[in-house]
Formats: sequence, structure tokens, C-alpha cells
Amino acid sequence: MQRTMGASTRSAGEITIVDLVGQIDLGSSPALRKTLLNSLKTTNHMAINLAGVSYIDSSGIASLIEVLREAQDTKKRLVLFGVEGAVLQVLQLTRLTGVFEIAQTEEQVLHG
Amino acid sequence: MKLVVPSDPRFLSIARNLVSEVSAICGLPDEARQGVTLALDEAVANVIRHAYKNRYDQEIELDCQANAERIVFRLLDEGEPPDPARICGQPLNDVSLSGRGTHLMRAIMDEMSYRQTSGKNELRLVKNLPRAQVSTAGS
Repeated sequence: MQRTMGASTRSAGEITIVDLVGQIDLGSSPALRKTLLNSLKTTNHMAINLAGVSYIDSSGIASLIEVLREAQDTKKRLVLFGVEGAVLQVLQLTRLTGVFEIAQTEEQVLHG
Repeated sequence: MKLVVPSDPRFLSIARNLVSEVSAICGLPDEARQGVTLALDEAVANVIRHAYKNRYDQEIELDCQANAERIVFRLLDEGEPPDPARICGQPLNDVSLSGRGTHLMRAIMDEMSYRQTSGKNELRLVKNLPRAQVSTAGS
């Protein structure tokens, strides 16, 4: 299991996909926030792949909410996918599954 | 079992590993183990942010004691006492950026209490073990 967080960005047509891996906690969430907000500036449609995230805490969730707010304020679309395991558990416990647009698969993001 | 870690977020994973291993050894199922690990991580993060105001050179003590019925975690620090309103947990709304950590702790753990002892803040978090829950439900 990757102990630290990693992020990489790729393009699929008009969509910018950010693949996240590892553990997101108080130590790594500031970098996450910065990475996601910077990526959002360059696109109108961003998808965040959380399939490789083994752990996320409330500071990571707060970063996602901040990016969602920024997307809403700038009329951009933000989608999460790969939401499972520990990530899904935290989103459910914080009652946020209905707040984010969540796709089941990357295929759904690309063709949905 | 006792762990003393610096109040530096880089060491959060050490506390998480201890809590996860203790929970697994005590027989908590995977989902509950992940939840307890998250709750304790949130508690340690709260100490770093609120008690120590992001000073990374202080000490946080995590004490774990288990018996057949429950695991009791005690978190001790010498930072500023918590705001009672924050300890009580704030109601969640969709757009709030803070207060979710305390909500998570309350949602996951069976007991949560705070006191000051010997000049230290002590947060006590208790998780009942599955057999104890079955026994309680059947009594």
C-alpha cells in the first residue's frame, strides 16, 4: 500500500482526468487541494479517479468539497469515479454521496 | 500499549497502523476496523490542528487498552483545551469544510468523552467488540 499520496493528470478529449493514489490525510491534503485547483483552471470538465486511494480523511474530503465549490462557481463540471472501499465509506459517513456527481467507471465519464 | 508520536502529520500513518493492527487483533471486522482507524486519525489530526495550532514539535500520546468486550483508546496532549462546541460535533451541511472529523468520530465510535487530567487533554474513544454487541443485544 502506497503510504503517501500521488497525483497524475491526463487528457481524454475535452476531459481532464486526475488519477489519485495512496493515502490522503492532513499531511497530504494541502498538496491535493493545490493540484486539483490548478488542474481545474485548465479545463471545463474534470474527473477525479479515486480508485487508487486506499485512505482518505476529513481533510481530504474538505479539499474535494473546495474543488467542487470552485467548479460550481466557475460553471465547470466535476465528476468523481473509482469511489469504493474506504473512500466510499467516508463519503457515506459524511453524507456526501449525493453532493458529488459520481460515475461508476471511467467509461461512463467519457461517454456519459 | 502506548505510542508517543510528534504532532507532525507525516507521522499520522504510524498511529493509523497501530490502531488498525490493534483493531484487527481484537477481532473487529474490516469495515469497522477501517472506521476506527479513521476515527483515531481524525482525533490525532484535531490535536495537531486545534490543540497544538499546527506546531509540529509537540507530543501526542496514544494509549490502547483492550479486553473481551471493548477497545479503549486514550489520546493525550498538552495543547490548548478544545472548544466544547467542537467536541460536541457540529451538524453537517453540504458545503461546510470543517467539523466533519468530530462527526466521523461520533458516528464510528460507541463512546467519546473528553476531560482534563494532570494538565493534559484526554480524549477517550471506545469501540465495543462484536461479541459484546451480540451479548448486549440479546440481554
